[in-house]
Amino acid sequence: MISEKQLWSRRRIDYWTMATKYLKLIGNSGFLFTIYLLFVFGSYYYGQFLQWLPETFPAVLFFTLVFMWLMTRGRVRTFVKQGDLFFLTPREEKMSSYFRSALHYSWLMETFYFALVFLLLAPLFFDRIHPSGSLLLSILLLLSGLKLWNLASGFQEQRVQEKGKYHVHTFIRLGINGVTVYALFSLQPMWFVVLLAGILAVFYYGYFYQLSKTHSVKWERLVEIEDQTVMTFYRIANSFTDVPQLKSKVRFRRWLSPLFKLVSFKKQHVYHYLFSRAFVRSNDYFGIYARLTLLGLLFISVVQLDWGRWLVIGLFAYMTAQQIETLKHHYATNKMVELYPLSAQSKFQSHQFWLLVLGAIQAVIFGTGALIFYNLMDMVIALFIVSLVYFYHGFIRLAKVYRPA
Amino acid sequence: MDKLLTINNLTGGYQRSRPVLHDVSFSVNTHEIVGLIGLNGAGKSTTIKHILGLMEPHSGEVRLEGKTWVEAKDQYRQELAYIPEMPLLYEEMTLWEHLELTAMAYGLDEETFEMRAKGLLKEFRMEKMVKWFPSHFSKGMRQKVMIMCAFLIQPSLYVADEPFVGLDPIGIKSFLDRMVELKREGCGILMSTHILATAEKYCDRFVLLHEGKILLQGTLKDLQEQANMPRADLDEIYVEMTKEDDHD
Repeated sequence: MISEKQLWSRRRIDYWTMATKYLKLIGNSGFLFTIYLLFVFGSYYYGQFLQWLPETFPAVLFFTLVFMWLMTRGRVRTFVKQGDLFFLTPREEKMSSYFRSALHYSWLMETFYFALVFLLLAPLFFDRIHPSGSLLLSILLLLSGLKLWNLASGFQEQRVQEKGKYHVHTFIRLGINGVTVYALFSLQPMWFVVLLAGILAVFYYGYFYQLSKTHSVKWERLVEIEDQTVMTFYRIANSFTDVPQLKSKVRFRRWLSPLFKLVSFKKQHVYHYLFSRAFVRSNDYFGIYARLTLLGLLFISVVQLDWGRWLVIGLFAYMTAQQIETLKHHYATNKMVELYPLSAQSKFQSHQFWLLVLGAIQAVIFGTGALIFYNLMDMVIALFIVSLVYFYHGFIRLAKVYRPA
Repeated sequence: MDKLLTINNLTGGYQRSRPVLHDVSFSVNTHEIVGLIGLNGAGKSTTIKHILGLMEPHSGEVRLEGKTWVEAKDQYRQELAYIPEMPLLYEEMTLWEHLELTAMAYGLDEETFEMRAKGLLKEFRMEKMVKWFPSHFSKGMRQKVMIMCAFLIQPSLYVADEPFVGLDPIGIKSFLDRMVELKREGCGILMSTHILATAEKYCDRFVLLHEGKILLQGTLKDLQEQANMPRADLDEIYVEMTKEDDHD
């Protein structure tokens, strides 16, 4: 028998063990590098953007809206599981230490998230609201307090059974947050802020806390919130790697069917057939391919520096090729594939075929982009770089991946 | 009747230190349906995995038309169709594409494929679903897809693992009718099942597996003699034989 508090930490650890595995995979995929690249180019263009932003831009209103939303969103993460509906509900009265731990944990996480956003907006804050760093920090601290109030109130409001009423509560919180956040960003005097904090505390104890005395915890809702949180994480992780828990949605994408015409009805084309369907319809191979290609195109249009642009072209081609490489494992769990009377060699050839076809398409897209934004010479260079990357990937890297260990 | 599948003194399992199958020997001939029966965990699925060449024997061998899987990989699998207990479908492929892919993998020409596929779709009443994805199928429909894929390639040996689960009565009848017809044409069929009344009616011989060993094998008559239970049906023999073992 373990205590509620131990149960909570065990679940938190379980979740983070799982999450860390995915975070590592995300770190290893090229995306982290893309973010770094975005950061480097972004910080350069950020300054220009601020200069371009007209004086009349309503910065206070902008901050109010963003943080009003950030304060209201997010609920206490409880790590509750479906089975708890049966096993833990009898102990509801004794669960307060569990829920308190959950509240503290969520407070920390949520503070981290909105602080990240604040950091991102810091240059705008200094430029348009106040140049003082200590002021920014005090606002950050006060917002963190407001977050705690929201999480605590939000947890009590989940006890309200009726969906409509439950949403009304959230809506009221949104209004309160709007007023408070506006007071902070419009730099109201200290006494006003203290007064607001007092009112909030009274409101919590006088109303939200009272809810816990008459209403039970709505476990199903907690499970729903937990599932949503986990799913959001899975969905993000899924855009970098394959998440088996995420029941992948199959999309028909009929407009891509012409690609299937490259596969003819013969034994050597079985893997051509399999890979083409996997790429177009399942998981998000195509989604990632399209996103990377568009992002690459965007960089081509923005980066004026020649060698910087060529580097970007090579990098995006390489990252895309790496994503196409993961197709190899798509049918790893399907026993039927193993039973087909086919050689392992034909799988490699098919994979290589699609890698090169998709590479050719990307080369044309990047090349056309280079032609439109720059000149013919740049198009030739773009075509050359992309081809080089894909030939390297198809003939050297992929061959290595397929070589039996 | 020629020997199609022969299993000689097969000992096998996932771990060498803990074999699941002990010295299993039986055969499946042409023009024959053999029932592989046993309790859950008796080793039926492991036996089937060895036959499919998905697992390697610790000792002993499995031969299909005289060849082991290692001796002739592609040829071995060309002559074999498998109907799994849990339908293994590609979520991103339509019913028609499943059939088409199977035909391609087993080297059918396009004409033969279309002719056979249309016949099967009609027989299993799946004509309306050719453009559907597996996520819209019920358990029975999924099982039908597997069965149609197996019948499409017309190999010499069929290995069916609990093929009736989830099928509607008409589906079961179509399946059994086909089996009988294939048997007449000279195919061999190995069928693992718990539905003993059906097995008794359709199988020529039985292999009763228990805790990785063969307890009894032969025709129903052989089984009755070996168990010393004249006129008993398969159900009774099965219960008696597996019960006896519990007392040991």
